[in-house]
Amino acid sequence: MTTDPTRDGTPVPLLQVDDLAIEFATPDGVVRAVDGLSYSVSAGRTLAIVGESGSGKSVSSLAVMGLLQQPPARIVRGSIRFGGTELLSLGQKAHRAVCGENIAMVFQDALAALNPVHTVGWQLTEALRARHGMSRRDATARAVELLDLVKVPNAKQRVKEYPHQFSGGMRQRVMIAMALSMDPEVLIADEPTTALDVTVQAQIMRLLSEIQAERQMGLILITHDMGVVANVADDVTVMYAGRAVEQASVFDIYAAPAHPYTRALLGSIPRLDQKGGGLAVIPGRPPDPTQVPAGCAFHPRCAFAEDVCRADPPPPTVSLPFDRTSACHFAEEVMNHDEH
Amino acid sequence: MGRYITRRVLQGFLTLFLVMFLLHLLTTLAIQLNGNPAQAFFGDRTPSPSQLAAVETRYGLDDPCYDQLGNPCIGPFVERLGDYAQGDFGESLRGRPVTDIVSTAAPNTLRLFVVVTITWLAIGMTLGGIAARRRGKASDHGIRGLSILIDALPIFVLLLVYKYIFSVPLSRWAKDTFGSDSLPALLFKPSFSPQHAWATLIVPGILLGLAGSAAFIRLVRAAQLETYNADHVRTARSKGLSERHVSRHHVVRNSAIPVVTAVGIVFTEALAGAVITEGMMNIYGMGGVLWKAVQDSDVSVVIGVVTLLAAVTVVVMLVVDVVYAALDPRIRYE
Ligand SMILES: Nc1ncnc2c1ncn2[C@@H]1O[C@H](COP(=O)(O)OP(=O)(O)OP(=O)(O)O)[C@@H](O)[C@H]1O
Ligand code: SF4
Ligand SMILES: [Mg+2]
Repeated sequence: MTTDPTRDGTPVPLLQVDDLAIEFATPDGVVRAVDGLSYSVSAGRTLAIVGESGSGKSVSSLAVMGLLQQPPARIVRGSIRFGGTELLSLGQKAHRAVCGENIAMVFQDALAALNPVHTVGWQLTEALRARHGMSRRDATARAVELLDLVKVPNAKQRVKEYPHQFSGGMRQRVMIAMALSMDPEVLIADEPTTALDVTVQAQIMRLLSEIQAERQMGLILITHDMGVVANVADDVTVMYAGRAVEQASVFDIYAAPAHPYTRALLGSIPRLDQKGGGLAVIPGRPPDPTQVPAGCAFHPRCAFAEDVCRADPPPPTVSLPFDRTSACHFAEEVMNHDEH
Repeated sequence: MGRYITRRVLQGFLTLFLVMFLLHLLTTLAIQLNGNPAQAFFGDRTPSPSQLAAVETRYGLDDPCYDQLGNPCIGPFVERLGDYAQGDFGESLRGRPVTDIVSTAAPNTLRLFVVVTITWLAIGMTLGGIAARRRGKASDHGIRGLSILIDALPIFVLLLVYKYIFSVPLSRWAKDTFGSDSLPALLFKPSFSPQHAWATLIVPGILLGLAGSAAFIRLVRAAQLETYNADHVRTARSKGLSERHVSRHHVVRNSAIPVVTAVGIVFTEALAGAVITEGMMNIYGMGGVLWKAVQDSDVSVVIGVVTLLAAVTVVVMLVVDVVYAALDPRIRYE
């Protein structure tokens, strides 16, 4: 895969998602979990995807990996391209094979995401053995290297142990090591630290960004935590009710959010001196996915809402200076609105 | 792993001891309530008091505690434990050592159980696995229907139908086609033959296994379905592995754990089926021996055989526990 910049200086994206829409057939009707999502990641860049629970962050990542269960899920439209390859037209088997070699995912709950009956070493090198025919002995050596890489102490001994013998933080390191085993060009980390306590969270995040910088991977970081976003991301996609409501560079988004939802998220960064916090600070709740409000989905909770918001959905992308977009009738007003 | 096994073995011995003691209490109570089983030795004849006394002594029934209702008869129990420890399991009323009877009968029962267990697992894993993989499709519904049908057919109906409808024409055809001592002819023989113990046991064993297989089909289906959607299986898929590899190393491997446990549980249930099967197919096995001993009030044989069955059950449980631990490291390293 090339990382050469194109003529105008922007890097060629490794992974490009365009207008992705995903539905679920449920007993209560069809749920549109992702609706017109687009983003791209280039080598060495970190894209943060943020949004409340149920906004479609995991579902869209699973679609990228070819891991959606269809049915109940259905990809309604859109495109997912890796390099020059359209993954969605490959068929599930080939799609997964491409991802196995090039795109890896770190799942949220490492204990559940690791197989309890196989040793950590076995799982770390499973793909290398099964897909690349690596010998058992080489695989063991490689497993030790991988654990060393993610700074699990005493790696030689620990490759023989089982997931339940690891602490939460160490397990998440194992997940990361496993994702790195095939030298992926893109890594998707789905809330890699939510199950961990605060100091361990910081260590894992540091490890992830170190590895990413060293290998020049494209990193998609899914998170709830706007504080983390500020520290590690280059670009940010904010999702609400299955849509990307704002996309911008991390600098621009913190300097002047152009969507009321982003503004609310930034107002809710948990501070160390405050207990709880998180996103719950935004008044109201995300919409019931079977009954998304008419007009702008965010209007019942929006401080900027006007009549037009209740009647007409905002254009999906209002283009703003510096290559940023916002899905809001009043994007420019919000961006220029000053009171922080 | 070593400590785990030691603990299980000790637990096994304790269970066995408790079973023997319970059995002793029950037979003691039966003797105290129903009168002296030494009488059975003489059939319809009325023995002289000295003859009766001689027989009582021979079968260890001469202790006065057997005449006192409610006396637990600890003395004879301890004595019996001592005898058993020296390999002396007593004699039947006809004077044949219990060890001799058991050593002829037990291998046939064990053969039957081997066939039964293999049938359970083969049918359960195959049909349950297909149903799970093709969940909601016609084959899944078909297999679930079949499992209900199997449940509705008790073992003795299966055996009756087989023995009186299929076995005779099949074995005649096999004899005519392959010769009377050929394997097919033996397979379909309507009754057991000690010279060809394995061959004549296979079909009854498969039928007994089939009768108990419905639970396994459902269990394997449920276990695999749950595993198919497990997070760790999704992780395996994310590695770009083939669905076959994922199925073998993650789905089937992990769902084997509850299935093995079930073998241990269902095993005792199958003992009951074995009695019926052995009876109907004239198999000289533990079930048949026990059945007859109970009818004849042959106390030594009853106690000896039940003790042995209990020992077998304990051993099976132990094997299941060890396999379970081998399959699930979370148990091994608890
Ligand atoms: N198997 C499913 N069946 C039906 N609906 C589903 C299913 N999986 C996800 N959804 C729907 O998709 C929507 C998005 O879910 P998703 O898991 O992507 O949220 P998320 O943004 O990752 O949230 P979280 O932060 O809690 O992980 C949810 O509202 C849910 O209703
Ligand atoms: S369109 Fe209206 S309701 Fe929606 S975010 Fe913008 S101001 Fe708020
Ligand atoms: Mg999620």
